[in-house]
Amino acid sequence: MNTDTVSIKVFKVVNIAFLIIISAIMVFPYINVLANALNDGLDAARGGITLYPRVPTFENFRVLLSNSNIAKAAGISVSRLLLGTAFALIVQFSCAYVFTKKTLKWKNVLLIYLMIPMYFGGGLIPVYILYAKIHLLNNFLVYVLPVSFSLYNMVIIRTYLYTIPESLEESAKLDGANDMVVMLRIILPLSKPILATVGLWTAVSHWNDWTTTLYFVPTNSGLYTLQYILMKVLKESESITKLMQEASQNNLSISTNARKTVTPDTVKAAQIIITSLPIILVYPFLQKYFIKGVTLGAVKE
Amino acid sequence: MQMLSGNPAVHTGKRKLSGGFRKNSFLYILILPSVILTFIFAYLPMPGILAAFKDYDLFRGLYASPWVGLKHIKEIFQVPELLNSILNTFQLSVLTILIGFPAPIILALLLNELKNGIFKRTVQTISYLPHFLSWISVVGIIYALFAPYGPVNDVRIMLLGENTERVMFLSKQNLFIPFVLLAGVWKEVGWGTIVYLAALTSIDPQLYEAAVMDGAGKIKQMIYITLPGIKVTAVILLIFNLGTLFKSNFELVYGLQNAYINYDVISTIVYTRGIQQGNISMAAALGFMEGLVAFVLTVVSNTISKKVSDIGIW
Repeated sequence: MNTDTVSIKVFKVVNIAFLIIISAIMVFPYINVLANALNDGLDAARGGITLYPRVPTFENFRVLLSNSNIAKAAGISVSRLLLGTAFALIVQFSCAYVFTKKTLKWKNVLLIYLMIPMYFGGGLIPVYILYAKIHLLNNFLVYVLPVSFSLYNMVIIRTYLYTIPESLEESAKLDGANDMVVMLRIILPLSKPILATVGLWTAVSHWNDWTTTLYFVPTNSGLYTLQYILMKVLKESESITKLMQEASQNNLSISTNARKTVTPDTVKAAQIIITSLPIILVYPFLQKYFIKGVTLGAVKE
Repeated sequence: MQMLSGNPAVHTGKRKLSGGFRKNSFLYILILPSVILTFIFAYLPMPGILAAFKDYDLFRGLYASPWVGLKHIKEIFQVPELLNSILNTFQLSVLTILIGFPAPIILALLLNELKNGIFKRTVQTISYLPHFLSWISVVGIIYALFAPYGPVNDVRIMLLGENTERVMFLSKQNLFIPFVLLAGVWKEVGWGTIVYLAALTSIDPQLYEAAVMDGAGKIKQMIYITLPGIKVTAVILLIFNLGTLFKSNFELVYGLQNAYINYDVISTIVYTRGIQQGNISMAAALGFMEGLVAFVLTVVSNTISKKVSDIGIW
């Protein structure tokens, strides 16, 4: 420490100050939205809300949570996350396991077959034409099937599988286990860390996706997700008006008793919080899994 | 069950004769879903690109629709709105790279100067937060932050006095691009440091010790040790970025567009004109151009990078 020159000491202080400012910029907007979401609507419209609600209320959330469309959308978001992640993991793990086998014929041909789409794709319109033809438009399966195979994830799982000693498999075979038993009883349990990594990754992308709904589920409102409803609420003023009207019809008595007001802006803030809070609450504890995904990918690249 | 009773010699002999197919058939069953899903969702759409060279008719289907050759490609260069969307895409991509590429490197270098400890970990965790938000949530947050009665206007009034007019920032055409860039950097800069921090930890500390012995200061250490240490990572990420940028900005641009903004990129036109308004062939032609440009950019940047620094992704 005492070898530091004055300029290095100055740099260290400035650096820490700068990083504190950066951290504030990263977290303040979210906290501000949270404060607005928990604040009385008309009061928030005067401005000046910073880190905490000035006139606290849960009314904004109640407007949203009492709405049957929002509840339905939450159900769709959760079920596409669970089904989509589970299906993707099964597909990708099976594929990765096969690619660790030396005995497989045509391995390189298969790999090239799976790789070509990484470089050549038709874009949105050809996909749209296809989905229209095979009846995937306005169909729940459009959330699950198209994104279930990912070469990138498969390669990352395979890289992990290579670290499992072959002797484990050989000794199990000597004990009479067949391929299926080896995969399910030995390889699968040992792969839990990588499956957790890829699974979390997939789950977040399922949760945060809204363009699939925009492109391919335009007219089936029973299949809207929370993120898509957030988009509609933000971009279409009639969506938020309708939502607030329905809420006031549903629980008019409660609202008047509470004497709290809601405005489009505070309801929008509450919708941002509802769609993002599940992930924001868990990511600090799970970040090592996500980070592993990034660094593994970098090594592979 | 048979394997349990047989001795090892018999077991291997059997596999060579009849067990080979059975053994591999299990593997083929395992890989079948991947092969089928890739075929349906990656290969089957490919002929759809023909729609760009036809007058696609929903009811007649792709193959029965009449050929029109380069009509729609020509249209792109004749209709100013379409041509503009290509120029805008290019402009936004270049600006995104100019700002989005160095930002995580700089942040990673600054974070790297901190001792490992609770402060460093906290800054990192906080900087990852926006990455976990969806793009549409980011759009919503930007709207709230820059709303007439949002915090940014509050600060302006605090600094400039009570009579300052509250500005509707998001309705200003000339602020649209800065907002897109700002939102992109805000969301991904923290997360982008991970790869660089990993690369920085792999630099041999002895190099720094030797440099200090030779009298190199912090700046010289950075130029001769740190930056070369992350060069490979940086170049590879740059090449990847160049190839994917033409596809990545839809969510942000579409999300931030509003009645006051007249700014389109290729992907927003493909969606609004193609899917919303049913102008399938024109949108397919535009999408085809987009794919072509992205592919050419990746090839070109990879070639340049190979010539200059011997680093490439193929």
